[in-house]
Amino acid sequence: MGTSFNPNYLVFAEDTEPSFLGFWLYVILLIVIVFGLLAYAKKGYGARVFTNPFTAASEQLYLFIENMVVGVIGAHGRKYIPFIMTFWLMIFFGNMLALFMPFSPTADLSFNLGMAVISISYVQYEGVRQNGLFGHLSHFAGPKLGAWYLIPITILLFVIEVVSELMKNVSLSLRLFGNIHGGHIAVAQMDKLGGAFLPFGSLVLVMIKLLTVIVQAMIFSILTCVYISLVTHHDESHHEEATHALEPVHVTG
Amino acid sequence: MLGLGLGIAALGCGIGMGLIGMGAMQGMSRQPEAIGRLQTVMLIALAFVELVFLLTMFLAPGTFAGK
Repeated sequence: MGTSFNPNYLVFAEDTEPSFLGFWLYVILLIVIVFGLLAYAKKGYGARVFTNPFTAASEQLYLFIENMVVGVIGAHGRKYIPFIMTFWLMIFFGNMLALFMPFSPTADLSFNLGMAVISISYVQYEGVRQNGLFGHLSHFAGPKLGAWYLIPITILLFVIEVVSELMKNVSLSLRLFGNIHGGHIAVAQMDKLGGAFLPFGSLVLVMIKLLTVIVQAMIFSILTCVYISLVTHHDESHHEEATHALEPVHVTG
Repeated sequence: MLGLGLGIAALGCGIGMGLIGMGAMQGMSRQPEAIGRLQTVMLIALAFVELVFLLTMFLAPGTFAGK
């Protein structure tokens, strides 16, 4: 903090790159918040009626995530709920941290890239586990083309699919990083625009960022669900059965 | 030059996201039972369109740095 009072520093500093140790302090703060809230919520699970508001909120959150995962992946996607839930909680609370702090783990490309690599690696692992190594690799090659002179196209498709699989890491992490870090930059610029007359004029943007917080957590987890469903949905009859069993609404009339 | 490029990218992404929102809202109003599923798909589509702008934002400074 400088000698003179600088309101921009309190809300969002323009130069928001901390040191390595500072980054880890933010990560530890995030972990403490997530685990602390969940541990506090866990205390109320024994009660017959949930009187603890955090317990009720965590139950609602679980139902929300379960609905999303089962809706996208299907009935056999229930075992992925803890995986998706971890991403959702870390991103949501990381983004909430970004609203109040000049920096946040999700506003750092390395943290997001780490999460994206974990997500995509798990998707590949699941693909290999469910379809076998050769089945998973042949999934990249696209449909089976009849003629021998179309083999170069299959090879080309394979290369393109592998590259796009690698680019999924980049797109997942860059989307989250761009939204959170870009929001910080936009708020800092807005503060500059207001100048001395409107020192906290950027608080309007902070309210809009509240929407981004939830939407980005949703998008990361939904995309992970979609990637998982892409590699685990091969059996056509199973797919039909799963979607039919999970039809939540029945159109009448 | 960079600002102009960002403006063009924002224009295109705005039109694209508006079209997605329009399509989703029409679908929702025609079939209110499918709102949950439509919202999910709409969010995914919005994320893909938004990524184009973010890519422009992060790739353009590197591309135009030497020019």
